[in-house]
Amino acid sequence: MNHGLRASFVKRFDDAVVIEICGLALGPDPEVTVLFGPSGCGKTTVLRCLAGLERPDEGTILFGEEVWFASAGRRPLPPQRRKVGFVPQDYALFPHLSVERNIGYGLYGLPAGERRGRVAEAMRWLGLEGLEGRRPGALSGGQQQRAALARALVVRPRLLLLDEPLCALDAPARLRVRNQLRRMLRRLSIPTLLVTHDRADALALGDTLWVMNQGKLLQHGLAHEVFSRPANLEAAAIVAIETVQPGRVLKTAGGLATVAVGAATLTALPLDLETAAEEVYVCIRAEEVILVKGPSVPSSARNCLAGTVCSLAREGPMVRVGLDCGFPLAALLTPQACEEMFLHQGDAVSALIKAPHIHLIPRPD
Amino acid sequence: MPILLLVLGAGPAGRGGEQAGKGRATVIVFAAASLTDCLKEIAGGYEKRTGDRVVLNLAASSTLAVQVRAGARADLFFSADEAGMQALEDGGLIVKGTRRSRLSNSLAIIVAAEGGAEVNSPQDLAGAKIKRVALGDPQAVPAGVYAREYLRRLKLWSALEPKVVPMESVRAALAAVESGNVDAGIVYKTDAAVSRKVRIACEAPREDGPRISYPVALLADAPQPEAARGFLEHLGSEQAEAVFRKFGFIVLAGPVP
Amino acid sequence: MSAEDWQLLWFTGRMAALSTCLVLPVGLALAWSLARARWRGKALVEALVSLPLVLPPVVTGLVLLKLFGRRGPLGHWLYQHLGWEVVFTWKAVVLALAVMSLPLFVWAARASLQEVNPLLEQLARTLGAGEWRVLFTITLPLARRGIIAGTMLAFARALGEFGATIMVAGNIPGQTTTLPVAIYYSVELGKDSRAWMLAGLSATLAFLAIWATQRLLRRPKR
Repeated sequence: MNHGLRASFVKRFDDAVVIEICGLALGPDPEVTVLFGPSGCGKTTVLRCLAGLERPDEGTILFGEEVWFASAGRRPLPPQRRKVGFVPQDYALFPHLSVERNIGYGLYGLPAGERRGRVAEAMRWLGLEGLEGRRPGALSGGQQQRAALARALVVRPRLLLLDEPLCALDAPARLRVRNQLRRMLRRLSIPTLLVTHDRADALALGDTLWVMNQGKLLQHGLAHEVFSRPANLEAAAIVAIETVQPGRVLKTAGGLATVAVGAATLTALPLDLETAAEEVYVCIRAEEVILVKGPSVPSSARNCLAGTVCSLAREGPMVRVGLDCGFPLAALLTPQACEEMFLHQGDAVSALIKAPHIHLIPRPD
Repeated sequence: MPILLLVLGAGPAGRGGEQAGKGRATVIVFAAASLTDCLKEIAGGYEKRTGDRVVLNLAASSTLAVQVRAGARADLFFSADEAGMQALEDGGLIVKGTRRSRLSNSLAIIVAAEGGAEVNSPQDLAGAKIKRVALGDPQAVPAGVYAREYLRRLKLWSALEPKVVPMESVRAALAAVESGNVDAGIVYKTDAAVSRKVRIACEAPREDGPRISYPVALLADAPQPEAARGFLEHLGSEQAEAVFRKFGFIVLAGPVP
Repeated sequence: MSAEDWQLLWFTGRMAALSTCLVLPVGLALAWSLARARWRGKALVEALVSLPLVLPPVVTGLVLLKLFGRRGPLGHWLYQHLGWEVVFTWKAVVLALAVMSLPLFVWAARASLQEVNPLLEQLARTLGAGEWRVLFTITLPLARRGIIAGTMLAFARALGEFGATIMVAGNIPGQTTTLPVAIYYSVELGKDSRAWMLAGLSATLAFLAIWATQRLLRRPKR
């Protein structure tokens, strides 16, 4: 008997936006699945449809044996009966109730003693002791997030839906809360669907990942795998691989493929090509490019490309270096590395890339 | 307040009756509501004959007296009781010697013409079937004051007082009976006569009823005293008296003491 | 102030309170469905509810008189089936006050209901709360400021209502005469000093109502 969530549905909006979900599956294993995609691609709508707050136009949503939604059937199961824990982006804590009453809201039918006990336990587990009487407005961002989580968890839901759990936090809190969240999600055994547009959050929190864009699911797999090896161009753009260039496979021999990209030739692993496709896109993550200044030395990297520095730009805590190696290539360095290498625009450098870090996607003609 | 259309160059007012009519004067008459229909006819005839305009402001006499005291501009005051007129005279608002009481009326108990209650005598009003009786406000409206005096004379007032619905004029009382929202009403016989939607259940004979008197006078602040005197004289003329009688009013011979 | 005046005050207050009790449930239901639900004919109902605000009160009174008079459709039905007489009784006073103050309440309540974040209601549902529980534990408490303001507005309006009341309830001392009606008739009868005294009373009542509203709506100090 299958205990998990299986959803395939379509939701249309007036302005012709369509969300088409095919084969979204969660559980029965209690893992954390990330729904990853840019803002506005419909991730929140997917969560709301699963929670029962919005109604799809067609399709089915099943949880184990329960039919939550079936377009050809009776009315959808109302959210009250789905036993889903939903935590929206801005937490939606009830502003007129204390933290204790917020968390205990879902335990309406229980006797007062048991309710108080479970609330206290949840607050302890999430480190919210002492905040019982406070109003949500008097809590910090991290405390609000934990309170919203406590409120969702205390009713022992069968499914947990988190919408951008970290986006409302400022940078210092974000890292700390992300680690806390990761530990906590590991300890819960509830299948969780977590929506985010942040790559770091997705990699840190998710076991498996769905890539989504413009209302459609593009790819599913282990988080780090999807990020390194997007299945198609669209997915590659979403997972934001910095260098994506058209290329052509010249030959495949000995488990290695030789690819012509621009004016350069690369050696890559042709793992993802089903047939001997000739036209490909070459995907290289900027953080996997190593720069060397000065004469090249033998290294284990199969690819050593000579090039010049075209641009240097700060990107958050890192520096993005734009190179011309016979094709445009991006590298990500720490500011210290740039300083130590005295990197400036126009410098001649060599870029080292290992064969497995060059990912090939078939390119349709 | 009616808009006054003052026309320049009014000719001299002749002694009662015909006037050469060198331009129109407007005579404003504040008159009791019960005089509505007969005054309209009289005024219409007067306008045709003389060319002057007569504007009627018709309401409960008590209301009109308050308006005059508050400074409303009017030429003549035609009240349904002496009390209102007396108050104005005491306040010096009337031109001495112009007050005249030549008209009287009698009271009638009315019910709705269709489906009205069974009332054969004033005592029937005290019965259980009659729940509400419309009168002019007994505190001020002359018709109500008269009705209360009448009922007091019949020793019916204390029984009927809780059933009374005070209306702001005798015509409003009439309308209430017409609409069926009250079971019966006491109005002037002349009012009952002009409405087809009510019928007279029984009349108060003049001997039993209170003394009803309609004084009329020229107001001290009259904007058109000459033209007003003309109309005042006309009100005492035979044509006017004929109209009053036609509508059911009682014309008294000589001034009423 | 005489005993009669105290009775007048007490009567007026009682009628206004009764009418506000009538307005609350009806007005809340109307305000909620206008704020939340989407349904056909909503614009028409909205316009109808606002009508007493824009029409001259005597016109509203006239309509009520025609409907609830003994020969009117509703008045006749009420008399036949319940033995109720409406016109020229205290029931007509309550009716007139309620109809005239309803739009004010609906206006205020609807505005504050619309401001309640629907996500909070939806979240309550995911936590298992049924629709009535969502209404009473989330929606109404969050909209309470507008509802309180609306209630006080309706009460104050009812205290001062004249035009419709005089048409449909008349001026029967001790039975249907309210404070504003008494003021009008005092002037009619030339009893100026009494009129001024009653007017002062009316103003004091209105002032008290507004002051109480301010206090109720004052934000608690954090």
